[in-house]
Amino acid sequence: MGRYLLRRILQVIPVVLGTTLLIYALVFALPGDPVTAMFGGKPVNQAVAAQIRAEYNLDKPFIVQWLIFLKNSLTFDFGNTFAGQPVIDVVGRAFPVTIKLGLMAFVFEGIFGVIFGIISGLNKGKWYDTVILVLSLLLISVPTFVTGFVMQYFFGVKWHILPVTVSANPGFLDLLMPAMVLGSVSMASIIRLSRTEITSNIAEDYVRTARAKGMSNSSVTVRHILRNSLIPVVTYLGADLGALMGGAMISERIFNIQGVGNTLYQAILRGEGTLVVSIVTIMVLIFVVCSLFVDLLYAVLDPRIRYA
Amino acid sequence: MTETTNMKEKLAEMQRAQGPLLEVKDLKVDFTTDDKRAVHAVRDASFSVYPGQWVAIVGESGSGKSTSAMAVLGLLPGTGKVVGGSIKLEGQEIAGLKPKDYQKLRGSKMGLVPQDPMSNLNPVWRIGTQVKEALKANGMDVAHEKRSALAKALAGDEVAVKTNDDETFIGSQELPALFDAAKVALKAAGKSDEKIAKLMERFKEEWVPGSETRWRVADDLIKAGVKDDDAWVVAKEHVTGSTMNDRIAGLLSEAGLPDAATRARQFPHEFSGGMRQRALIAIGLACRPDLLIADEPTSALDVTVQKKILDHLHMLTDNLGTAVLFITHDLGLAAERAQHIVVMYKGQVVESGPSLEVLQHPQHPYTKRLVAAAPSLASQRIISAHERGEDAKALMEHQVKGEDALKKSEHIITVEHLTREFKLPRKKELFKAVDDVSFSVKRGTTLAIVGESGSGKSTVANMILKLLEPTSGKVIYEGQDIAGFKGRQLLDFRRHVQPVFQNPYGSLDPMYSIYRSIEEPLRIHKIGDKKSREKRVRELLDMVEMPESVMTRYPNELSGGQRQRIAIARAMALDPDVIICDEAVSALDVLVQDQVLRLLNDLQAEKGLSYLFITHDLAVVRQIADEVVVMQHGKLVEHATTDEVFDHPKMQYTRDLLDAIPGGKLQLGLD
Repeated sequence: MGRYLLRRILQVIPVVLGTTLLIYALVFALPGDPVTAMFGGKPVNQAVAAQIRAEYNLDKPFIVQWLIFLKNSLTFDFGNTFAGQPVIDVVGRAFPVTIKLGLMAFVFEGIFGVIFGIISGLNKGKWYDTVILVLSLLLISVPTFVTGFVMQYFFGVKWHILPVTVSANPGFLDLLMPAMVLGSVSMASIIRLSRTEITSNIAEDYVRTARAKGMSNSSVTVRHILRNSLIPVVTYLGADLGALMGGAMISERIFNIQGVGNTLYQAILRGEGTLVVSIVTIMVLIFVVCSLFVDLLYAVLDPRIRYA
Repeated sequence: MTETTNMKEKLAEMQRAQGPLLEVKDLKVDFTTDDKRAVHAVRDASFSVYPGQWVAIVGESGSGKSTSAMAVLGLLPGTGKVVGGSIKLEGQEIAGLKPKDYQKLRGSKMGLVPQDPMSNLNPVWRIGTQVKEALKANGMDVAHEKRSALAKALAGDEVAVKTNDDETFIGSQELPALFDAAKVALKAAGKSDEKIAKLMERFKEEWVPGSETRWRVADDLIKAGVKDDDAWVVAKEHVTGSTMNDRIAGLLSEAGLPDAATRARQFPHEFSGGMRQRALIAIGLACRPDLLIADEPTSALDVTVQKKILDHLHMLTDNLGTAVLFITHDLGLAAERAQHIVVMYKGQVVESGPSLEVLQHPQHPYTKRLVAAAPSLASQRIISAHERGEDAKALMEHQVKGEDALKKSEHIITVEHLTREFKLPRKKELFKAVDDVSFSVKRGTTLAIVGESGSGKSTVANMILKLLEPTSGKVIYEGQDIAGFKGRQLLDFRRHVQPVFQNPYGSLDPMYSIYRSIEEPLRIHKIGDKKSREKRVRELLDMVEMPESVMTRYPNELSGGQRQRIAIARAMALDPDVIICDEAVSALDVLVQDQVLRLLNDLQAEKGLSYLFITHDLAVVRQIADEVVVMQHGKLVEHATTDEVFDHPKMQYTRDLLDAIPGGKLQLGLD
């Protein structure tokens, strides 16, 4: 177990190196000149431009830029944005918002996905099973931004139930609708996943054996059907925790939330390599930690799985 | 002997007096298909089970035997529904009972030992937990034994009828003190030290916490020579009841699981099939039901394990006075275990009666076929088609010819000092799956390799097929070492040596039509053109007695036996010399098994094929093989002609295997 953990943690190193290098290469390959973009496309004094280039190391090949980034990041110096703020401050402001949004979406999709999945799975063939199935299919097939705009229009603009856009320091109610939009697709997947698992588990021999023992329907359902069905669901949820961070970009754009997604979007537009790389590196780390957590959780939930 | 006869009479008397425990009358069970049509799975089935009796329902798969049993338990799968008739338990109608009321009967009144031990335990719960669920669900008192009226009455002669206190279990905490007290009591009774040591050893084995009761302890001490009063004082003081965990361990050890307290904390995947089945037996009997439904409880297990488990189940149910409804497809097994047999065919009960009566004087044509086909009852090798139906002279000739063939014919495959080692994870030393095995298959004859799972028999087959390289030793085909075969030569070898595998569900590609499956080897070996290949496929289908219309169908539309015929047709496509059958009939029902064996036999007689037959079932061997090789733990332990092995087995292991054939010792007179 200890060796397995160590191996998994060591794997993080090449993953972080690889992704950062890749991102530097991509930012470098983006069309347009960051310095021109900085001045809003107006002509720039050559000397000033050169000075800025030198300051942000933009005059060097990307591999050198990357090495400089790595060297500085060892001392937690991630440099400044083009606007002159320390990258670490920008990231420090954006992440809490997105994490809040992500966790809300996570709780939303987890609770409603599992509840509807269970209702659907235990009552296969009933009319509400069909309704749930159709709705979940709808949510999966309609792109998030459509769901987002539709919800924004009805709940925000037309009925005034929830705020249309979000303030700079958003609270629970502000983020409710964005979180629902963000979690909707995963929720639909969880409904379908748990439903499939439950319907196949109901037919398992050990469920029949449990009934033959004289156990009540409710304890058979909880201990034998749900306990076994929810293993893959928990795995899915864990893997999704990381994916929500990335998915936040669309939701944040629609509702104008000043989170990671929005900041990242702006940074890409401006060609700010350092900022992009810093944000993505943190996201990669969250992703890696989440997937490690999921794998460990899996071993706890399913005794047949042991890591060595 | 007189004691047992007395017991039997007494049992019969009690059964008459009490009436049937379970009475099923004109039971009808329907399943509904997707397009709302009703499929009649059970039609007007009637049978009864008396207290303490073993009743077997025999029939092929799809005969409705399991469905009837599940209808009794109220656990019909899917759309299954009891649509008519009655099911009475202790005189009470239970068909159509509310789910809540049914739930009260399950576990405490009716237990289940299911068919497949691999899928019937939940993989995520510890074994002990799964036993505990049964005890908890029925609110069982884990400190005291619950004995049925029948068991009490039967034990009545031996010891005076027990009160609840006398049925208190030994607890694991108090065990050391109990041993000490027993020792003191024995000493007081004037036993020698040596004798005491011996007795104590026995007690240590027998006094299992959570399983042995106070009166048994007292009884044991009294029988050992301790005065009645003293014995009861010891028993009362030191046998005061077991905990839940003691009881779980006690139940598991009753079911024959060694070191049960530790085992209870393990998960199902850490158990072998036999151990899992023992755990399932413990669960089925945990709440001391009056009726136990055993649905093919051992068909997924090796024969030797099967015998041990059934023996144990028999002993347990006899002691507890539990009646057993035993579902099986093997008439021999049914006759050996049950007092009463019910034969089902296509959802109907076609015959029922006392076991020997049914076996010796079958009335219904289906029962006759079953008796004739039961591998455990067949006494000799099948005679091929064109010899069948002729007089006894032909029969003699066959045997003489057979012996001649054995003596004269050359060896088509010879295996010399074959050894195969495997590396096991986290172990330094290599595991010898096959250890120095030598034998040869003679042209036109059948050699069977017999052994339990893990004996290395399939590894031998894989090496002969050149699917696996031996660590050392040689396989010689037609005088040439197959190790050197490459390219053209290897293709040629593959053409002449064909396998038929165990699982007809897995060995045919579900995406290939039957035609494509059979034609594939011809295409690979570039034999003939499209037209001649099609003609050949038709011939092959005819050979295995399948209609040409199956050519366009897919494996999932065929039954297991039909698929195995297709697999044989495919193996025959290239006119092979040798067919290697790896458990080729093990997954099939007895009747189908019999048909396939006859087919193989006829093909051998017509084409002069040689078979290497790998099986764990000696009963099948007797029907098909000329020579037998017995393997155990990778080693060849016995090699002789079939008759010799059956009549004069040399090794104890072979004798065990022979003993394990169900119904092997039953007298049988077909009329």
